[in-house]
Amino acid sequence: MDPARGGRAARFLALVAALVALSFHARTPARSQPPDAARVHQSDELSWIGANDLARLLAATKFWRHDVRKLVLRTGEHRLQFTADNPFVLIDDRTVLLPADVRSERGELQIPVAVLDLLPRDSTVARLFHDRGRGVVLRVPAAGLVGTPKMAIEGASTSLVFQAEHSEDVAVRSRSRAHFQLHFAGVFVGALPDSLPLESLVESIRTVPAASGTTLELSIAAAARGFRITRELEERRVTLTLTGEARADHESFAPEGPPGARRVRVVALDPGHGGSDAGVTVEGAVEKELTLTLARLLRAEITRRLAARVVLVRETDEALSMDERAERANRAHADLVLSLHFDGLPGATARGVTAYCPPATYGSETRVPGGRTALVLLPWRDAATRHAVVSREVAERILAAIDLRVPGPSRLREVLPYTLLGVNAPALMLECATLTSPADRARVTSAQGLTELATAIVDGLEAFQATP
Amino acid sequence: MSTMNRLGIAALVIAVLAWAVWRWTAPPRVTDTSGLVRADSASVGFKAARLYFAAPSGDSLVSETREMMEVQNLHERMAALIGELDRGPTAVGVAVVPAGTALLHVYLDDRGTMTLDLSRAFQQGFRGGSTAEALAIGSLARTVADNVPEVKRVLITCGGAPLATLGGHLALDRPIEISSLP
Repeated sequence: MDPARGGRAARFLALVAALVALSFHARTPARSQPPDAARVHQSDELSWIGANDLARLLAATKFWRHDVRKLVLRTGEHRLQFTADNPFVLIDDRTVLLPADVRSERGELQIPVAVLDLLPRDSTVARLFHDRGRGVVLRVPAAGLVGTPKMAIEGASTSLVFQAEHSEDVAVRSRSRAHFQLHFAGVFVGALPDSLPLESLVESIRTVPAASGTTLELSIAAAARGFRITRELEERRVTLTLTGEARADHESFAPEGPPGARRVRVVALDPGHGGSDAGVTVEGAVEKELTLTLARLLRAEITRRLAARVVLVRETDEALSMDERAERANRAHADLVLSLHFDGLPGATARGVTAYCPPATYGSETRVPGGRTALVLLPWRDAATRHAVVSREVAERILAAIDLRVPGPSRLREVLPYTLLGVNAPALMLECATLTSPADRARVTSAQGLTELATAIVDGLEAFQATP
Repeated sequence: MSTMNRLGIAALVIAVLAWAVWRWTAPPRVTDTSGLVRADSASVGFKAARLYFAAPSGDSLVSETREMMEVQNLHERMAALIGELDRGPTAVGVAVVPAGTALLHVYLDDRGTMTLDLSRAFQQGFRGGSTAEALAIGSLARTVADNVPEVKRVLITCGGAPLATLGGHLALDRPIEISSLP
């Protein structure tokens, strides 16, 4: 055979093989790892990372030269060239030596993690960090890293000091004492304490999932009167100071309502959807009809057990705008607004109950540097956030009561839903069951199931009313 | 077998042999595969994109990595990502972005706000409750933010007009902060 023709055939076969390999790779199920991290594995006393993971973290474009078994990664202005069974890496125009050969295993090049120290350091290349404790390589976001907090207690004040590379990016997500949330744009690579001193105004601290950055949730003691965030840009430090005294230069926590027993005298029930908007419709179960039936059952149960007045935002099958719903609920001067819905997620096995309550983003007194009081303007659409703490209390009580009577799971989400825009009262939207789940649907389409659900909701309201 | 039949079979065999010899000796057709073979000197490369779909339990999003052809233009990149979301997951997830959703326009400002103007199918094709709505929005927002790190928040419009809500449960009148997504 003509050697040239043989070479062409070999290259063609290599090309087909490469495309098949890429196609196969594209269908490989995702491994369970965070999006900005990749697992490393240990072998021969070295840490290794897969070339595909390295390319993903660097946001690099891959070019595979099968004939010479070289992989080129192009990222930003830079070019990295790895060769199978070779310890030398070409980075732009310099050749560097790895502690071991680049290996080819299971159709993928494996590269010693030591390569991270050799990567170019400029803004066009993602910064990677080898977290040895967790055995992963992380892509460090532009906001950098956040380290282990250090606590200091001085008199009536408790301070938490965080090392944060971009301290200007810290934000308070929730001002609720019970669920105070601090969000950092950077990735947390430190450790949180298992226990805290008794005299500390911080009772607990934990991380909560966030799509980007790090959110820390703190439980703050009732003795705390205010908080202050200090950002020191040059020192790359953020200090959260909690004070047990009333001080002008500290911000307030979210309003928690008057102390003592909660009184529920007027309840506004808003049966979701209506008129031309049927909501979720699955095999004869129609959301707008179920919400109205449930509201009528709740009216009877609340009137009987709580001796409260109940106002239905809609009594018939009518379409209402969100403004009309909010106006009717506000006009009733309700102590509590419940927006009733039934959930649906086609194609999934989802089931259960979800409560949405407004986030505790509102503080009645916000101070600016220098101790002056800033005017807090709250858009009317966000009026429900003034009642976030009480709304969450109601949601927790109702979900706890539902959990006792109805198969779960139950979920609580702190998001201001569209259905509560402009509502000026403690309020929550309750997805009472998931109609796309056959079990949930069978339960709530039976008279007994819906009555049991109404009983559980009123159990929760009763427990809320008994809150000291 | 008659003489004519024998002659016919012989002619057929000769014709096949002649075609084979001609194919073997003819100059090869020029096929330019250099773009695929000559690696980074050409413009064709593959890049890992991370796509978000709903977990089957409906509690969260799950992600999968997919190899996509590299494109430089922002509109083409976003259109390709939304096209992949529309194709659905290849692993364990559930597609939640309404079928037929396509990108009409995209704009990224210097403060990290990306405006995605989607086709009418996004609104008209939506079915489900608040969970489906939250997951559809989360799937879109996290996919674009994960693949374009400059994106800090996403504003969704539909057919060139503002979109107050997708299904009546969650507000879309303001940009969605990526960091606020679970």
